[in-house]
Formats: sequence, C-alpha cells, structure tokens
Amino acid sequence: MSLLEWRDEFRIGIAEVDHEHQVLIGLINDLHGALGAERSRERVEEFLGEIFARISAHFALEEKDMQARRYSESGTHKADHERLLDDIRDIMDEHSEHGILDEDAFSARLAAWFADHFRTHDARLHKYLQTQR
Amino acid sequence: MLKTALRSVFLRLEQVCEKFFGPALNPWVHVGSLGWFLFWIVTVTGIYIYVFFDTGVTQAYASLEYLSREQWYLGGIMRSLHRYASDAMVVVVMLHLLREFSMDRMRGNRWFPWVTGVPLLWFLYACGITGYWLVWDQLAQYVAIATTEWLDSIGIFAEPIARNFLDSSHLAGRFFTLMAYIHIAVPLIMLLFMWVHIQRHAHSRVNPPRTLGFAVLGTLVALALVEPAMSQAPANLDRAPFEVGFDWFYLTVYPLLDVVSGRVLWAALIGGSVFLTLLPWLPPLHKAPPAVVHLDNCNGCGRCFADCPFGAITMVGRTDGAEFDQEARVDADMCMSCGICVGACPTATPFRRASALVPGIELPTDPIAGLRDRVVAATGPLQGNDRVVVFRCAHAGNLDTLADPGVAVVPMPCVAMLPPSFIDLVISRKHADGVLIAGCAEEDCFERLGNRWTDERIASQRDPHLRDRVDRDRVAVSWASPAQQHRTRETLGQFRQHLRTAFASPRPGRTGVAWRAQLRELAAPLRFVGAAAVLGAVAVLIGWFATRPAYAYLHHDQALLKLSFSHAAQPLKPCRHYSPQELAKLPFNQRRATTCERGRWPVYLELDLDGRTIHRATHRPAGLWDDGPSTVYASFRVPAGLHRLEVRLRDSGRATGFDYASSATVSLTPGQNFVVDFRGTEGGFQFGRAPAHGPVVQETPP
Repeated sequence: MSLLEWRDEFRIGIAEVDHEHQVLIGLINDLHGALGAERSRERVEEFLGEIFARISAHFALEEKDMQARRYSESGTHKADHERLLDDIRDIMDEHSEHGILDEDAFSARLAAWFADHFRTHDARLHKYLQTQR
Repeated sequence: MLKTALRSVFLRLEQVCEKFFGPALNPWVHVGSLGWFLFWIVTVTGIYIYVFFDTGVTQAYASLEYLSREQWYLGGIMRSLHRYASDAMVVVVMLHLLREFSMDRMRGNRWFPWVTGVPLLWFLYACGITGYWLVWDQLAQYVAIATTEWLDSIGIFAEPIARNFLDSSHLAGRFFTLMAYIHIAVPLIMLLFMWVHIQRHAHSRVNPPRTLGFAVLGTLVALALVEPAMSQAPANLDRAPFEVGFDWFYLTVYPLLDVVSGRVLWAALIGGSVFLTLLPWLPPLHKAPPAVVHLDNCNGCGRCFADCPFGAITMVGRTDGAEFDQEARVDADMCMSCGICVGACPTATPFRRASALVPGIELPTDPIAGLRDRVVAATGPLQGNDRVVVFRCAHAGNLDTLADPGVAVVPMPCVAMLPPSFIDLVISRKHADGVLIAGCAEEDCFERLGNRWTDERIASQRDPHLRDRVDRDRVAVSWASPAQQHRTRETLGQFRQHLRTAFASPRPGRTGVAWRAQLRELAAPLRFVGAAAVLGAVAVLIGWFATRPAYAYLHHDQALLKLSFSHAAQPLKPCRHYSPQELAKLPFNQRRATTCERGRWPVYLELDLDGRTIHRATHRPAGLWDDGPSTVYASFRVPAGLHRLEVRLRDSGRATGFDYASSATVSLTPGQNFVVDFRGTEGGFQFGRAPAHGPVVQETPP
C-alpha cells in the first residue's frame, strides 16, 4: 500500500519543485514499502530520518524559489512547512522513546498535511506565479 | 616564530581591550572596517578642504592659513581631522596587516585580500605624501625635494623633476596643480582597490559598529581641538629648512635617504612588497581537501552558497540531468575547508541513517557520518545530570583541560560546520543534557562568519535553524579567543550548574538565543574610563608622531649647495649643408638646408669646493639616440661661510682640457640654498642668483 498519491492538481508551476514533489512522494512510498514486514525499530527510525531530511531539503528549495520570485506570502507558507517538520519530528521522538509508530495515523497525518498544504498554500503560490508571467 | 610571538602579543592586547570595550566593540577585531571608516572621514574632510583650497603655488599656504586660523571652528577642525584620520589610517592598516598575518588568515586560498592589500599600502602612502606636499610649508618643501630627488634616482625621467624645486625662480604653478590632482586621483584608485580587496569575501564588514565609529570620530575631534593641525613656516625655495616637524606615519622611510641611496631604498621597498605578496605561499600551505558536492543529495537549494564566507560556492546549471535548475559547485581554489557549507546543508541531518549518511555537500576528510559517530561515541560514557557535549572549533585553543566524566569534547574545523539538527539529536535523544558550542572570539571568527551563522541559526534567524522544540536553556555558546579559554571553562562550569538546577522541576522550553554565562566583567564606569583611556592613548600617539620628533634636515651651520643644469653638448659630427644634387633627390617635404647626424657628446663635469673635488661625473645625453641635453642634478650639504668653487665642463670630443671653466668665491649663509647653474648660450656658469645672495666674486674663464 502506498502512503501517498501524487495528483496533477498538486502542480504549482515551478518545474523543479513539482518534480521534487513527485520524487518525494515516490520516495516516501518506496521507503515505506522497503520497511519490510518485520518493522524493526532501527529500520523505522531510518525511514523516518530519511523522510525528515528529504522533506527539509525540499522545503529549502521551495523557500528559495519563493524568495527568488518575491512571493509576498512566503512567510506563512514557510510556517506551514515548519508545522509539518515539527509534526514529523514529534512522530520521530515518539517512536524513538516508545518504539511506537502508528502507521495508519502517520499516513493519515502526512496525507492530510499534503492535501491541506496543496489546497491552500501551494494553490496560492500557483496563482501568484501565474499572475507573474 | 615571529608569527607566534606577534600573535601572543595581539591576543594579550585584545584581551585587555575586551575588558573595556566588550567583545562586540573590541577595536582589534574591527581594524579592517575602521580603515574604511577613516577613509570616509578623510574623504569628507578632504572635499571640505578642497572647497577652500587654492591650488596656486603662492596662494595654497594662505588658503590653508585662512582655514586653520580664521575658520578654526570648522575648517580648522576639518583640516585636523583630515590629517589625524589619515595618520590613524596608517595605524589601523598596519595593525590589520600584522594581525591577519599573525593569525595566519592570509595563507593559501586566502591570498586574494592579502595580495590586493599590498598595492593599497603604496596608494595609502602616495596619498599622504602628496597631501603634505600641497600645504607648501617647510615640510612640504622638504617632501617635494626629497620625493623628487628620490624619484629621479630611478633614472627614468629625461629631466630630473627635482629641478622644478631648484630655487624659487624654477617653481612652476602648473606642477603644483598637478600635485593637487594626483592627491585626488590616487585616493579614487585606492578606493577601487579597496573594493577589489574585499571581493572574495561574502558579507565583508566595511563599517565598524556604530558606537565604535562614533567613539573614534569623537576621539579624533578631541585631538583636533587639543592639537590643531597647523602649517609650518611657509616654503622658501631659496632657503633650506634646518628642521621640519615630521609626520612619522607617512614619511617613515624618508630619513633613510640620508643613509642609503635612493635606488637602494626603492629596491628595498619593492623587494619588501614582493616578499609581502609571496607570504601567503611561504611555505606552501598543506590544507585539507576542499568540500565536495554529492549531487544525489543536492537539489540546488543554495543554502551552502548563502553561507560560504569565502565565495567558494557558486550555483550553476544542473549537470547530472536531474530535473532541478541548479547545483552547488565548489571552487577548489577558494575553498578553505571550513565546513560551514556542511552546517547549512538540509540533508546533513544526523537523524538519517539509511545506508550511509551522505549530505549534499561535505568535507571529504571530515564526513558528517563520522561526526555523528563521534558524537554518539563520545557521549556514550558520560554520567550525571549535567552531561555536556562541547563542539569545539579548531581555532579556539586547547580545551583538553575540560576533560571530565560529564563532558565530551568534539573538535571540528569550525563550529558552524555543525548542522543545527545535531543539537536537536543530542538533546532529544538524550545523548547529553546540554550542548556547548565553543568557537572563536565574537566578531573574530577564523573562518569569518562561523559564530555569526551559529548564533543566527540557534536564534532561528537563519536557515537551517535550530528547531523550536530544542530548549535553548540546554544550548550554550562561548565565543573566546585562544587567550580567553578561561572564559569557556567558566561558561562550561556555569552551564553545568544551570543544567543541574534549572530542570529540577518541569518547565516550558525556551526559544530564541542560546544560553550565555554571566561572566565577570568590569563595572560600567570603569569600562568607560578604560575605553576612553585606550582611545586617548592612541590619540596622543597619533598627535605626537604626526609632527614630532622634528627631523633635522640641515645643521644650523650648514648651507645647501646645488649643481644643476641642463645642457645640450656638441653633436658627435658637425652638421653640414646638403648639396643641390642631394636636395633634388629628397622628397619635397623633406628638403632642408642642413643635415645633422644624431648623437651628442656626453657632458663631463667637475666641481671643486675649496680645492677638493666633490663632483666628478660624465652625464649622458638624454634620448634613445643620445641626442638630447645632458642634465645634471647634484646636491651637497656644506658648512656655511666663505668657499671657493671651481667648475669645469667638457661637452665636445676633446680628450683633455675643458670647454668651459669658471670659479668664484662665495659666501654662504646658514640655511642658504645656493645653485650653480650653467647656460651655454649665456656665457657659461652662473653662481647663484646674484645679487640676491650676497657678494659673489666671479672670475673670467682661463
């Protein structure tokens, strides 16, 4: 089962950002798939750490592109990025401390965040970029 | 050896000053930007002086006298500031140079600012020397004559330029106007080089902190009021000054001209400059290999590019076909291997462990995976509830004395190499109870921006920032020079005490800046007095050496005897008339009555003073074809009183004997500038400008 699904309406109009969105979703699903049946604590930790790093890097790129395009709402957009990173870090800590990863909840949280983020912040950015052309 | 000694002197002085000024305003760490600040003071005051300055040779002195005396309250202060800020510039520039040298901050890939700084020294001195020239007082007279004589010693000028200042009849206003323009042009070129000087540095500091700037300006104004810059007696080219008030900052090497020849001094200065220029590679620096980019982990986010203090990273088009716009590229010739780029990379997070922890950019000799392992290994054996891991910069001096069962020290090239997520890891996974980051002194990071970026990352002012979830009461910083390691030890002690007590009962985490120890410092009034005393001492030093001690140019019982003229000797072959046949063969526009072969005889010259020959030389004709006039310029300090002078000159092909000879008995008064001239068309030698110079008894040639 894949954690997340890419949909075309997620596009914001910056080629490299859209590309990395897809790569990320693919990577998250792949990593998740590779966790294997035994779900060793170590593997899960690696999986979460890798997701955290990749999403951080992706946000760094998206934030640079927003600033380069003088997007006026990059502040609130970035704050939403931070919210997800904090969420993931919470989940990481929870797993690290108690060895628990509620995969369904995790999957739901990620999916919810993505859906919400794409619907609001990314859509707004998409609109802004269209007016800039 | 010299470097180490110098460094310990600097560190000691800086430590003393830090007590008074505090780390952020310590003038030592701002000598470079103070140079810029002083440059602007000199520029603004210079423009003001120029408004009132008269470039005419006779009016220059008077126009400055007006400024200093009638308009002392503004023009006078402007003039004094102009002088003292220029002198202060020599001081800060020299300290800047010595300091960067002693701290080894010009080696290898950091050669660029050093090498571009060398011509800046020449420009600086050229500015000062031409400036003193323009006042046209006795010092200006000395500077003009000494400088032109020194320039003439190179031998590239067909006509010695010192002849412009031979006596008052030779002085031309045009030359003086030229000096004024040189004095404006050189600083402009200097500004261009100052700009080039900082090109390779990201976020160069060209402005000192405002408080420090005002303090320096205030000190200079105070000095201007206490000891206004004044002109000395007006220049008089018919007399030589005995003593001149001397600016030892700019004219430092001039007295050497009494001891060594001009050419030797040029050779020494040029040789010295070449040596200075080569210093970054003496001996060649064996440095760690440069940072490398791992494209698999680089999406071109540009954070390393934003943080590199040396401009070694550029963002270039993607080369691996990935669908990103850019990638980071490291210029190996500029990379200092400080690792600050690694600390900026979002994929350099220790929470990753999949296969290998490879970030987008890292140091091959200091991989981030290794750092993670070192942190885990070093913190493993720690015990207690006040366990601290110290991330220590390679330039912070020896911290082995910190060794303790509750303390793990992890050294790294620069503390800004530490990605903030490492702090998150240490605290959240409870590898230690606190993190102490120990780096170079504030505003004085060896790698330029390491502690600034670290502070900003912790304070969430710069990405990648330390996540808010990390309680800032568990993250401490200590910025201290190698001479102040006791401060880091004290910080560590206080920090551990804080860790033991502050978390006894649950409390909400704190965000914002890192925890800082309360280090002992002097009481505010004492600091103010101390800082004022330091600035005052520098002001006294500048005010004193700007004119004192006086330089004795001529003894009180001496006069100056100059033998100088320009004379075209006989042609090697006499000119002859063209025959009509020859003329007919020539193109119309080249027909002339006579033809002369190029080339003249040299001028052979002897001068006897009281029967003793003091000058005997052959003076070659000027010009590529040896067909120009021969020029003579010789200057002698002689006792005042009655002297018998004999001069003999040969300007033809004769083997023996002389074409001109003349002698005179002259009475020289102390300080007189007596010129022996020669005019081939006006009867030969002329002794002084009679009758202005007292009795001259001229005898007929033999």
